[in-house]
Amino acid sequence: MLRSFLSIVTLFIILFLLIIPAEARVYLDINAPSFVQLPIVLPKWKSLGKTPPSLSIKVYEILSNDLLLSGFFRVVDYSKLPPSLREKEGIPDPLLISEWIHSGGEMLMVGDVSLEPDTLQVILRYHLVDLIEQKRLVGKQIEGHLQNLRYLVHRISDEVIFQLTGEYGMNTTKLAYVMKQGESKEIFMADFDGANVKQVTKNQSINLSPVWSPDGKKIIFTSYLKRNPDLYVMELHKEGIHRLSFQPGLNASPSWSPDGKKLAIMLSREGKSEIAIIDSNGTNPRFLTKGHGNESSPSWSPDGQWIAFCSDRSGSPQIYVMDTNGLNLRRLTYEGNYNTSPSWSPKGNRIAFCGRVGGEFHIFTIEADGSGLRKLTSNSGHNESPCWSPDGRYIAFSSTRTGSPKIYIMNANGFDQRALTPSKGGESSPTWSPRF
Amino acid sequence: MSKKRVTILILLVFCLGLILAGCPKKTVVKEEPSVAARKEEAARMEAERAREAREREAREREAREREAREREAREREAREREKAKEELEKSLIAKKTPGIEGTVYESTLLKTIHFDFDKYDIRPGDAEILKENAAVLKKYPNLKIQIEGHCDERGTEAYNLALGERRATSTKNYLISLGISPDRITTISYGEERPLDPGHNEEAWAKNRRAQFVIIAK
Repeated sequence: MLRSFLSIVTLFIILFLLIIPAEARVYLDINAPSFVQLPIVLPKWKSLGKTPPSLSIKVYEILSNDLLLSGFFRVVDYSKLPPSLREKEGIPDPLLISEWIHSGGEMLMVGDVSLEPDTLQVILRYHLVDLIEQKRLVGKQIEGHLQNLRYLVHRISDEVIFQLTGEYGMNTTKLAYVMKQGESKEIFMADFDGANVKQVTKNQSINLSPVWSPDGKKIIFTSYLKRNPDLYVMELHKEGIHRLSFQPGLNASPSWSPDGKKLAIMLSREGKSEIAIIDSNGTNPRFLTKGHGNESSPSWSPDGQWIAFCSDRSGSPQIYVMDTNGLNLRRLTYEGNYNTSPSWSPKGNRIAFCGRVGGEFHIFTIEADGSGLRKLTSNSGHNESPCWSPDGRYIAFSSTRTGSPKIYIMNANGFDQRALTPSKGGESSPTWSPRF
Repeated sequence: MSKKRVTILILLVFCLGLILAGCPKKTVVKEEPSVAARKEEAARMEAERAREAREREAREREAREREAREREAREREAREREKAKEELEKSLIAKKTPGIEGTVYESTLLKTIHFDFDKYDIRPGDAEILKENAAVLKKYPNLKIQIEGHCDERGTEAYNLALGERRATSTKNYLISLGISPDRITTISYGEERPLDPGHNEEAWAKNRRAQFVIIAK
């Protein structure tokens, strides 16, 4: 009896040792102070059967770019492989994995694609192999319409990132931003990788400060259509826009509550900008600040309890935090005399903001308790309007480093700064969608 | 001495005589006026009527003249008003902005004021400009204006919206302090969205930090 009990316990322990560590292993701790990119080998993908070779080339381009943009990997693409491996494509026989051990990476990501010519369905199969331990981590396939090829590949990239970092990537997210069009400003959007740039407002007005709803279905923004900065909502799957808040004066700079039920906004009272909370349908305004200064840029904390904002009540604009009743106020920033645009990380621990150093504006982050100030940009023109990715790993912002302002993305530690799109500029005020 | 007494006596007798002679004469006039007296009376009344007529005529003439003067003044005023209106009309530039509802007018009679960086208080020189603008608003009591608060490109969009709002409001409050009704003034902040000068230098920035006046009703 005891014997059989012990053997069962032993069996469980063995099962645990076999299963749990393999599942829970995180290859990349991106929060570690000395983060080193993981080298991943990416051989050519294969077009199966009568599938046009151009399709696997396309998939490869999207995938390698995704992995590169994530900032987690050093991508060893096929052109950097030894001659014997350079032309190999598709998923190798498991028995032949050993020949990839000295290909220059710790991970191997392989795959193939087939296209059903009648239905235009594509099937993407992929394997992720740990070359050090010679173990397959993932073997999956995903299918969908050819039209959604980019999205399908982004899903694969996100899965790879999940396997190696413990959280899905940002490849299916989009960014919306403001783009100057002559005298007017319109709202545009683009995928995380800069593809699919699309104009979403076409009203020739001044459209400002877009923010994506937590469910990804709406964008709220300010527009001067009725000769007053009013708040509008745009449903992304419907035509037209709807006016939400239109008090005389400012109805601007909205920030969603994490549950999507309320908005913190800049709202004028007696000709002065205050922070107020309204319901997400625009009703029930409730003022949180009371005439101490010019209040701007509210940003809700991910736990829904706090609001960071900018106020010049001390004589110069600084970052403050208060609770959602306007109480328990504390000042966060003391360095510099011009700190604005706070944005609370969805992970809760840090607040990004824009601060002036000398004559330049730069992006900083600071802990929510005011400690650990960190400057993330330098020698790069003016950098403004920081906004976090939903996983808290990236910050989008606008920068004039190449002249006219453009949207940039960087890792939350300031590394890997890259322009979102190859546009000529005129871009500002990025907002990040959730994953789609 | 006795000579003086005689003189007084004579005078007294003379006076008595006069009284005795006077009284019966008066009774005679009353009871039976002579023809000559009637004529005299008629003439007197005639003269009275004539005088009244002359006075009436004078009054009427005066009234006519006053009326004429008043009419002339009114006409002059109307001409002046017309001229002022013309002057106003001539000063107006209709401004229709795509994507922003309605037509407003800029007027060269209402001068723009400027601000220091990150400030919204009215500078002494600009206070003088606002006094002139207030005089224009008093001259044209039908004007309704909108004050636009603007900022330079530096600093963040949202902060500049708040700053522009405050610039418009402090300008409005100054005009109210000069006796302009708050009902005639609305405000709007354009933040950094509508620079006058697209340059990226102090000269351009100084021009762009401003409160500008547009006419929304005239």
